[in-house]
This record gives sequence, structure tokens and C-alpha cells, in this order.
Amino acid sequence: MTVYGVSNRYAPLLPEACEILRENADVEEADGDGVLLLADGAIYRGTLFGARGIGEGELVFTTGMTGYQESLTDPSFAGQVLTFTYPMIGNYGIHNNRSESGGVWARGVVVRSAMKQPDHRDSIASVGRFLAAFGVPGIENVDTRSITRRVRELGTVLCVFGPAEDEAALRERLAVLRSPELDDLVDLVSVNDAVILNPGSRGESGHLLPRIAALDCGIKYNILRSLCRYFEVIWCPPDIAFESIEELGAQALFCSNGPGDPAHPGMASRARDCLAEGIKAKLPVMGICLGHQLLGLSSGLQTYKMRYGHRGANQPVVDLQSDQVWITSQNHGFAVADPDAGMLAAHPLAVESEEVENLHGNQVVVRYVNANDRTVEGLDVVGAPAFSVQFHPEACPGPHDAHALFARFKDMVESYIRGGD
Amino acid sequence: MPRREDIHTILVLGSGPIKIGQAAEFDFSGSQAVRALREDGYEVILVNSNPATIQNDPEMADKVYIEPLLASTVESILRKEKPDALLAGMGGQTALNIASQLAHSGLLEELGVELIGSDLAAIDKAEDRQLFNEVCVSIGLSVSDARACHNMEEILAAADELGTWPLLIRPAFTLGGLGGGTAYDTGQLVEIASLGLRNSHIGQVLIEESIIGWQEYEYEVMRDGADNCLIVCTMENIDPMGVHTGESVVIAPIQSLSDSDHQMLRDEALALIRALDIRGGCNVQFAFNQFTGESRVIEVNPRVSRSSALASKATGYPIARMAAKIAVGYNLGELPNPITGDGTTAAFEPTLDYCVIKIPRWPFDKFRTADRTLGTSMKSTGEVMAIGRNFEEAFLKAWSCLEQGCPHPRPLTRADESDGEGMLARATEPLPDRILVDWLRIATDRRMGALIEAFRRGWTVEQVHEITRITRWFLYGFENIARIEGEIRSFPSDIAALDAEDLLAWKSRGFSDGHIVDALSDFPPAGIASLGYGRDEESLLNRRHALGIHPRYRMVDSCAAEFAAKTPYYYSTYEPWSERGVDLLPDLETRVKKRQVVLGSGPIRIGQGIEFDYGCVHAVMAIREAGMDSILINNNPETVSTDFDTSDRLYFEPLTLEYVTEVLLREQAHGILLQFGGQTAINVALPLKERVEKMDSLDVKMLGTSCDAIDEASDRARFESFATRIGLLMPNGETCTNAIDMRKSAARIGFPVLIRPSYVLGGRGMEILGNQKQLDAYLAEAYLASDRPLLVDEYLGEATELDVDAVCDGDEVLIGAVMEHLEEAGIHSGDSTCFIPTQNIDSQMIELIEQQTRAIGLGLGIVGCYNIQFAIKGPELYVLEVNPRSSRTVPFVAKSTGLPLARIAARCTLGIKLAEQEIPEPVSGQVCVKAPVFPFIKLQGLDPAPGPEMKSTGEVYGCDLRADVAYLKARLATEVPVATGGAAYLTVRDGSKEGLCEIAHDLIALGFNLFATQGTADVLRTDGVLVETVYRIAERKHPDALDLMRDGTVSFIVNVPTISGGAVRDGNMMRRLAVELNIPFVTTMSGARMEVAAIKARQECDLEPMLLKVNY
Repeated sequence: MTVYGVSNRYAPLLPEACEILRENADVEEADGDGVLLLADGAIYRGTLFGARGIGEGELVFTTGMTGYQESLTDPSFAGQVLTFTYPMIGNYGIHNNRSESGGVWARGVVVRSAMKQPDHRDSIASVGRFLAAFGVPGIENVDTRSITRRVRELGTVLCVFGPAEDEAALRERLAVLRSPELDDLVDLVSVNDAVILNPGSRGESGHLLPRIAALDCGIKYNILRSLCRYFEVIWCPPDIAFESIEELGAQALFCSNGPGDPAHPGMASRARDCLAEGIKAKLPVMGICLGHQLLGLSSGLQTYKMRYGHRGANQPVVDLQSDQVWITSQNHGFAVADPDAGMLAAHPLAVESEEVENLHGNQVVVRYVNANDRTVEGLDVVGAPAFSVQFHPEACPGPHDAHALFARFKDMVESYIRGGD
Repeated sequence: MPRREDIHTILVLGSGPIKIGQAAEFDFSGSQAVRALREDGYEVILVNSNPATIQNDPEMADKVYIEPLLASTVESILRKEKPDALLAGMGGQTALNIASQLAHSGLLEELGVELIGSDLAAIDKAEDRQLFNEVCVSIGLSVSDARACHNMEEILAAADELGTWPLLIRPAFTLGGLGGGTAYDTGQLVEIASLGLRNSHIGQVLIEESIIGWQEYEYEVMRDGADNCLIVCTMENIDPMGVHTGESVVIAPIQSLSDSDHQMLRDEALALIRALDIRGGCNVQFAFNQFTGESRVIEVNPRVSRSSALASKATGYPIARMAAKIAVGYNLGELPNPITGDGTTAAFEPTLDYCVIKIPRWPFDKFRTADRTLGTSMKSTGEVMAIGRNFEEAFLKAWSCLEQGCPHPRPLTRADESDGEGMLARATEPLPDRILVDWLRIATDRRMGALIEAFRRGWTVEQVHEITRITRWFLYGFENIARIEGEIRSFPSDIAALDAEDLLAWKSRGFSDGHIVDALSDFPPAGIASLGYGRDEESLLNRRHALGIHPRYRMVDSCAAEFAAKTPYYYSTYEPWSERGVDLLPDLETRVKKRQVVLGSGPIRIGQGIEFDYGCVHAVMAIREAGMDSILINNNPETVSTDFDTSDRLYFEPLTLEYVTEVLLREQAHGILLQFGGQTAINVALPLKERVEKMDSLDVKMLGTSCDAIDEASDRARFESFATRIGLLMPNGETCTNAIDMRKSAARIGFPVLIRPSYVLGGRGMEILGNQKQLDAYLAEAYLASDRPLLVDEYLGEATELDVDAVCDGDEVLIGAVMEHLEEAGIHSGDSTCFIPTQNIDSQMIELIEQQTRAIGLGLGIVGCYNIQFAIKGPELYVLEVNPRSSRTVPFVAKSTGLPLARIAARCTLGIKLAEQEIPEPVSGQVCVKAPVFPFIKLQGLDPAPGPEMKSTGEVYGCDLRADVAYLKARLATEVPVATGGAAYLTVRDGSKEGLCEIAHDLIALGFNLFATQGTADVLRTDGVLVETVYRIAERKHPDALDLMRDGTVSFIVNVPTISGGAVRDGNMMRRLAVELNIPFVTTMSGARMEVAAIKARQECDLEPMLLKVNY
């Protein structure tokens, strides 16, 4: 097993997306007229930036006003073309150690203006340079508000963009473009081998931190960092067998965020089964985002594609137990169907996932809902130390309101260990 | 928690008069809060001393008291009304101080009145510096490190401990920060601090680490009773620390912080608000060192503020409304979000897909002698806000909103240093580099123009950053403006050759049509007005329209289009590559209601204040009542008119011809009302009329008084011939366009003469000149041109001045009120104290005034509001001025008489005749007084005496059965005390000493000792008045008046100065000191008589609060 970041208890050293800037420092940025074609027939003209080439995928938008670097490197955006609603992107440049993974996963970026002259003490490059280094194309000077409205009304659509002179070719490409959700996106963005983070770390009182397994479906680094605060973390591939986790001595199981359809029969389903095993074994379990959807599926709930999802840093979530509202960071296009209300805020083409049986036999209750559209934002498993949330308590980007959920997980694990003694 | 059922009646405190630092934002917040409470079924009692607000309109609250905002007045109202709760968080610092005082005194507890919103403990923790610092430290936040020192040893030790330079020296308890400063070494520290120790009343100075040059950020926070907490808006000051946030150009949201920087400050803001236990809206200010990432908490306002008003307008989130709901028990999650409707709640953080720029509006165009340096105290009177999809666009639009000089930046020349003779020649010489450096280094109102100029000259961002410490991100923006401007200048000036791509690129960076043609013509020294047809703004507009380039209108929806919003609140932007053609209102063809546009009045400035916003709001209400769609265009974020639900559709735009035209096109408007937006809207009238006639795509009617009638009323020559025709008397006067004519006219008319520029508001550059020498001095500074003539008038000394506000529907006239000024003609009507009804005018004269008012209204063909200024000298009635629009006094008339004049006038403009309207019976049997409030304490270098040039920022109101008591109330409401005893100091110019002895006798009878200068004392002694003579200040012997004032002997001053044209007049020093020591002074004999009557009334009777009465 590979070992990373022994040196630092709370912030393991992880392969950083920015490193590519050193390797590909002299890659030329694209320029010139560009055209963005949507599957519904809409055309937007703009100017190319970032990498040369063609961007294509499912067109989504995020409303966060800061945190573009974190979003670009969030593996959950794999297969998507990311539109930023905030019109000036790149103000403070690209920073070392602010990436959420080792790469840029969006297949294209659409902005109103990409700032060429960033200004920040930590800035090492402009956003255009960063995209160019990663081979991800962008298009700017586009009426992003109009795109947002269209996606809001029609739901997310497929799109292609590239040089204006290639419009005809782009059109052909769009005609045959298939939904990236059909691919096993989780396989694309996750680790292949288990990695141990901060082995032998000790907590503030000097005790050895409990060891947990984190299933990587496209895990964001700040989840790893947040977990490392309380645990020694085995960073596992999504298809790891539950038995292996037990063999590794993990005392709890975590399942991460990730791209695509939770009901995809590939890697996602493997992770789902592993989660169910964990719950069945009464291991403490926590899921975030895709991890939450998989927990829902494993509990016999269904998932569905949302009209345009929740992507941004201002999503209000109500804790139905306390009525407290958190402002949360979110990035998801699928949701768990409300067991009582069914599909809320669904995509026009949405169908519920096939009904599956409850794999672990415990009941779940909806603990958190979105204050705007009442969609399911979190589940508590009844009678087992397991819960999941649709939003991102690790933030990055976004507010830290929900960060206490990691402490909740820690408490669960500690109580499990005490009970197990 | 749901609505509280245990309270029923809530007393809401307003903020009082408009003054520098506390403007219309509290009318906006207060009105929104009152509406929010009443829709929940609470009975609201409102107290505010300002008659010009919408907040204390009779229909706004269940009971309205327009009474002085003093703890004693509020106490008597509380005793009388016995409300269940007191809401103080909507009335600015004034209301908070009163509430805090009443709570500490135990009165609230005694009466069983609950302070709702933030409680006393929370207010104390936020307001008391010591407690506040303790709270911050307890949760691990850094505050700027300061040490209180009482002697030089302590000071040097403190400097050692702090260990960083520069250090800030702040003397405790001095007025206007007298004796403070920044020291860069020990020598400077000793020098400044010893002065500070001397100046401090308690011999204490604070030695503080200086965070000058750090960046300043603001977070607007909401918190409810269940501890839900969120950030509504973040704001970044473009000017680094050292300039008050109210004086800084501000952008929202924050641009230069990374997500992790921002989340750190967000966490700190939320932690702080929780630790302080604030409920409702509040504001946290941070200083941030962008080189190290360190932060310091600067302060918290535990209430709605100017910033929260800006945040509300910038995001669409109604902060005051939600704060009021929280105060009565609701949680954010229970409150529906009125912006996005259906199912969404107030528990969310707005996200923007645009940026917002606020620029303060300073009064230095009127107060040429005032010190323009911006620092830690406010000098601006108002502000403008503009929205764009990039920094350049928002900034240039905001510049156009300012209505100050040219509506776009131009290259700086020596003419920009000052007006006056030779200006045209100086306009060809560039501003020298060394002066430009000063304009960049020292923050003044000129700094933003200087930034662009520096980049025009090719200075680098690094150079400019070195001089200004302004964040480079903004400098790149300014550099880009200069770069695009340069690109336009390099084009051939042939407008017909411009192509769509270039034009669209420039427009999308905020360049106005005027800016583009000016740059194409290489900025002619004679200004944009000198551009001929084919090269002018209109030609560009035509070319642009021919290319199909129009703005797109975007909704301010608080959610970046994530949800379908209901707010009809728009801004314009030019999207590159957007579909071409006019962006018409959706479903335009199916809309059946007529669409009527009201032009707002822009930023609050001296001469054009909240009174005009009041008129606009009433006009909007009249349109809605008439079953039509009301559309408002304005750019002032502080006002009620720009609240998202005041009009049917709000456009946040510059009030220039270009932006107004585009809105009219988009709306395909049926009519436009121009008489409520003050001079701003009147200035648009004539050019708009010409444009509408030429444009086929526009079919909009100018409602109300015709442009021709406006011109006839405003143009000196035309009005003179009108006056002669219908038999009105006017003071002799002539219009001059050059210095030679001026001298001739003055000689013909005879000194003293009154000089005023035509077609401007508030009498800019208006002065009374007593002799040739003063005239010469004036001409050296004044700027005359054929389009900027000056009027020379006979000065009617010792005349009684009157104001009349009336409405005419073309057939009939309704006279709102005849107002008598306390001060003689020659003191600007906006600065005078005014009575309804008149006090010293006989009924025959009143009849004549009414008759002439009717004749003028009908004769000019006024449809709507108008205002006339009359003067009575001897037996004669003179017409001084006719303003064919809603005036400053309209709200005062409405509150005094119960006649909603602005609304009645607006109905007339919509074609509803007076006879068809239900006009309420006027209220009678009371005396109402309007008194001015002056900004002297804030503006150094300004002579604190009223004159022909308007200086007041706001007004207060007093009402009682007795005139002296009504005046007393108004005077108390000005927040300048009314003397109760001690000594009076009298110094009265020759020729005005009549009646002096009577005043002196009265003062002695009231228990005052008298001091006077030699001349005045001599006159008094001949009448047997006991008076002590003091030296005149000019004699430089002691004791003089200044000594008596400083040692607290003098508590009241009568100072009637001689007429002298210059800014520095005799007695200026004394008045300045009186302002700083808050000693009341009067500068007219009539004012002195009234003040003495008020002192007497105060000794005689208790003040009884009066409920606002109307008969509808």
C-alpha cells in the first residue's frame, strides 16, 4: 500500500493539480472566435481561452462567486462543461495547495470574462493558463446569464464548443455526442490502489487516531484533510471489497462525492454494495454527495436526475431535527427521491432509478432537506451509526456551516470503539 | 419561532434629519420595516423629526409623531402611548442612542416596554469599545492593537510595545479628531501626541498600530432568534484603510479575496455576531492585509445601516424587512423570500452574476472652499450605485450617475484644478504630473479621475499601486478603461464607419455614447457640447441603433438566475454577441396597462435631497392607483423609490438621456413624468423632447407641464416678459454671459446685487455682492460661457420671503400652502426656517399671493406641481422665481396641511382633473415649522452661516398650537441645543440693530448675562441694558468671544454679519468654534427674536407631543 503525507497530521501532502503548471508552463493558450452549440439548438458566440481544442459534455452552471479553482478540480464535474454564473472568473488567480484533486475534471469552461491579470499574494497563474496546462478548453465573452436561464428552464443539456470556423464539424460532433453519464465516470476519477494517509497519527490527547476506510468515488482533497483531523485514513478505490476493509482494520467507513449517475452499474454500484455491508456490520458510516446517494440506494430508496441540480455555495439546508438552517456548498445533478414525495425538482427526462431492495435491512429517515425545493439533503440510518448528506460539509469552495458533521462522524466512531471495547 | 402574539403595539424610531453620515437610507429601511410589521397585524407608532420622509407619511403607520428625536420626547410618547415594544434598529445611530439611554435609565422596564431586535446587552457589547474588544479577543479575533496613554512616558512605552510603524495617534474625546495623526517615527510621535494630549478633554490619547494601506471589507450579516446566521452581501472598499467606508468607492461582491480568504472572514463575521448576540441585520467591517493574509475586526454596527441599504439594493435581499420580522419572533427559515417566491425562504445567501459599484456624492462642487481631503469622517451627502457585468461597466455607469461635471471621465487639464476666468485656455494644458501624483496620493473626490488619467499617460499599475496602495485588481480595471479610451481615440472620427463589433466591445465595457464620441473627437477642450451634428452623441446613438445594438436588461434576482424571480428590478448591460434588436419587455403585446415612467432624482446632494424622492414615490403611487404600470428610473441606493416593491418596475440606471431613452424604448412607454425628480429630471426634459420627436420607435408623451412652459418659467428673459404681460413685479435683473456685461449690469442695477447661475439647483455659486471689489473677486472664480450664463439681480434687503407650493391641472389651481420664511430674502429658501401658516402677513396680501399663484399656474400652462418664491418689501409683492416642478417643501406642506400635494399633482399629470379628485380638507388650527440642519461640523473650511447659497443637508419639523412652541420643537429637533441660561453674546452689524434692545431686555428677563462687541454694546447701553463689552476677535486682545465660548460662559450667540461676498467673513472663526462646541447661534435679527421666544417658551411650558393629523 502506498503511503502519503506522513509528515503532517492534518494536511497530508497530496498530488497537486497545480504541479502541471511547471510541466506545461509553455503551452499556448487558445484565442480567437469561438462558438458554443447546445443540444436544443441554441448557439452562443464568444472568445476561446484556456486549452486549444474542443469542449464537450453536459452543460451545467454553478453560482458560487468565489472558489473557481476548487470547482475546476472537483472530480464531481467530470464529464461536464462548467458555466460560472459569476461574470468575472480568475480574479485572484490559481494558488498552490488549493486544488481539490490532482486534475481538472470539467471538459470545458464557459465564463462571461476570464481575468487575464489575476491579483493575489498566492497567485501562480491565471485561470486560462491553468486550463491550458491541463488541456481543458474554455470560452469567454459568452452571455452566461442567458445560458443559465436556458438550463434552468430546459434542464441540463449536452453541448459542444470550439473554434467558430469549425462550426459545421462541431455540429456533427454534437449530433453524435452521448451523455457522459453513460460512462463509468467514477472509474475515471478514483484511485486504483489503496493509499494510507497519516499512518500512526495521534490526536490532541496523544492517542492513536482510529483508522477508517474512505471509498474514493472522486473524493475532494478537503474531505481527506477533514477526515485526517480525526482519523488515520485509508484512501480506497471504490471497488474495494468489504472484506479487504475489515482486513485493513478500518473501524469505520466513509463514502465520497463523485461524478455521474449513482445508479450506474459500474464502480458506483460496487461502492454502494460495500456501504451496505458496512451498515449491516454496524460499522459507523458517513456518506457525502454521491456517497449519500449510494447510501440511499443501498437503503432501498430511489435516485433520479434533477432538472439542473444544485451547484453553488449558497444552498440552504434545514435540519429537520433542530430546524437550524445551514448555508451549504453543493455540487450534484442527481438526488435521492423523497420516500414520501418522490422526485422533486426533476429533470424533464428524469426517471427514477430501478427499485432495489434494502441491502442492509435498516430503515432510513430524511434528516436534512433543501429549504428551497425540499429535496432530500441528508439521511440518518435508524438503528445503525450511519448517516449521509447531499451537501459538502468540507466546503472548498463555500461556507463552513456544516463542518461539524465530521465531528459527528468522529463521535460515532469513538462511541463505536468504546462500545466495541 | 412564529410571530409573537404577546406584543401588539410597537413604537418605531426613525433617524431624524438628513445629515452627512445619516441620509435617506433610514427612510428606506424604516419604511420597509414598518410595512413588514403592519402586514403582520402589529400596530405601529412612528417617531421621526424629518418631515420629508415617506416613513412618516400618515398612511405608513397607525400613528405618526413628527417630533424631536430626543430621549425626553420619546419618553413622553412612550408614557402616552404605552406600546408593548420599542424597535430602534431601523433609525441609525440616533435611534440606537435614544433606545440605549432609555433602557439604561430604567424607563423601558418601568413602562414595561420591551426593546425588540438586538437587546441592550447586545447593543452595549457592540457599541462600547472596551466590551467589544473583550468579546473579539474571547473568540480569538484580532482587533487593532491600541493603548490608552496619559503622558509621554506611557506613549513611548506603548510605541515600544506595539513595535510597528507607523502608529496612529487618536486623542480621546475631541471633536472631529482634532490633534490626531499618523507618526512614522519617534520624533513625529512626540510632536503629534503632545498636541493630542493637550487637545483631549480627559488628557488621554490612544496609540494604535496603523493599518493604513490595508484593504477594507464589509460583511452584511443576518441572524435570527434561533441562531440561524448568514451573509447577505460582501463589499470591498476600493480605497484602502484610512478612508471612511462611507467615503470610499465600494464594489460588491468582494473581488480580490480567494474563497479561503473569504470563508475565513465569513466565519469570523458569523462567530462575532453570535458572540455579540445580535438579532436582525448588522454589519461587520474588517481590515485585511493582502500581503500577509492578516485580518483585524474594525467595528460592528448592531443595526441596519447605510451599508445594509446598499447591500439590499445590490443583492435584492430586503434586509430591513427581514430584520423587522426577526424582531417580532420569526426565524429566517419561516420567512418566504419575496424575490424568488414559491417555496424559497429568507434563509439563503444571495449570489450575484454582476457587480455593483457605489460612488459617494460629495458637496465640493458647491462648497469650493471646503477641504476636499477624505479621511476617517464623512463628507459626502449621498451616493450612487450602478450595476454591470464587469468592473469597467459598473464603474463608468456609476460615474454617469453622479451628475457632477462631465458624465464620463475626460483627460485632466489645468481647468480641472478650479473654475474661473481663463478656464478655456487652461483646458488645453494637461494637468502637470506632479499635481496628478498629489491627486493620486491624497484621497479626495478627484482620485478616481486621476487613476484613469495616470493610465492614460502610460503609468504602470505598479507605479500607481506604489502611490495609492489600491489593490492591483482595480488598477487593472482602470488601466483597461484608459486602454479602451485610447483605442477609440485612435479610430477615425467618422461615426458612420464604426462597425458593430468594435462598438459592442466598447459598450460592454460601460462606455456611454457621449464618452465614445468625445474620445473619437479626441476630447475637444471646449467639451462635448462643442461637437457638431454628425459627430455628436445623437449621431452615435443613431449609428448604434442602425447596427441593432441595444442594451439587455437583466434582473437583480439575488440568485444569479438559478430560480425564476419575481423582482421587477433591472439594470442594463451590453452582452457581447447577444441576439441583436431591442430587448423588449416580455409579453409586451399582451400588456394592457399603460406604462408611465417616473424619473428619479439621483444622489442626495445639497439642494436636491430626500424631498424629491418623496415626490417620486408619491408619483409612483398615483400611477398605480390609476391602474397603470409605474416604472421608475433612479440610481440612489439609499431611497424608498428604489425599493424593489415601490414601483411596478425599477430600472437602476444613470439618469442621462442615453439610459433614459433605452428604458423608454424597452418599455414602449406611454408617458414620462419629469416634475418629481428635481432638477435632474427637468434637465432631461428638453433634450428628451427633441429626441422623441425624431425617433419613430418612440411614442412617449411628456406628461404634465410642457417643455415650453418649463422653459418659459426657467428662462430669465422669457419669464420676465411673461411677468410683465400678466402684471407681476420682479426684482430688476439681467442675464450676462461675460464679465464685461456683468460689471455693466451691476452698475445699472446698483449694489448690493444677487448673482446666480440659471438652470441650476440649490443656487450654486449664488452670492450677494456688496461692491465692485467683491464683484471682481467673484468673477475671478466664476465660469461664464454662452451656455452657462449668470443672472444679476437687484438684492431685496430686509424683505420677507415666502414660498408657495401649488398644483394646477390647466383649468384650476390648488394652493397647498403659503409659507413664510423666518429669515429675510437673501438667505436661500432651502436654508430658511419656514412657517405654515404665515405669521406676519395680512389677509389682503395673502389674497394677492394666492391670486398671483393662480395667474402664474394658469398663465404658464402648468400641469402638475409648481413652486413660487415671493418676496414682500414694503407694500410690494415680488416674484423671485417659479419652479415648474415638485419642490423641496412639498413634503413639508403635505405633513403640515394634510394635502398629499405630490400625489394630487401626479394625478393631474395623468389627466385626472382636480375636480375629479377627492381633495382632503386641509388641517387647520396648528402651526408647523420647518428648520434646516447644517453640515458645518463635518465640513472644515465652510463658513457656518446661511446665505444665498444653500448649505443645509436636511430639515426637521415642529408642530404645535403655538408658533413659539412649534419653533422650539423644530429647533430642538435640529440637535443643536436651545440655550436655557448662561450668557448670550451679541454682535450685530450696523443697520440691523433695530429691535436689538428688545431682544436684549428679553434675554436679561430670561436670566441671561449679556456680552457684546463695542458697537453693539454702545447701542444697548443707550437703552439701559446691562452688558459687558468684550474685544473683537480681530483686536487680538483677551478676553474675546472665543475665550468666553471655550470656557463655557457663552451659551447663545446672536451674530448678524455684514454682507461680504467672500467666503471668509467677519465672525467666521467664532461661528466655526460655535459649531465645534455645539453652541447655538443665529445670524439674523428675525432669527434672534424667534430664538428668544423659544427660550421663553421652553421655560414656560412642557412640550406636548402632537400626533400627525390628516383628514383622509
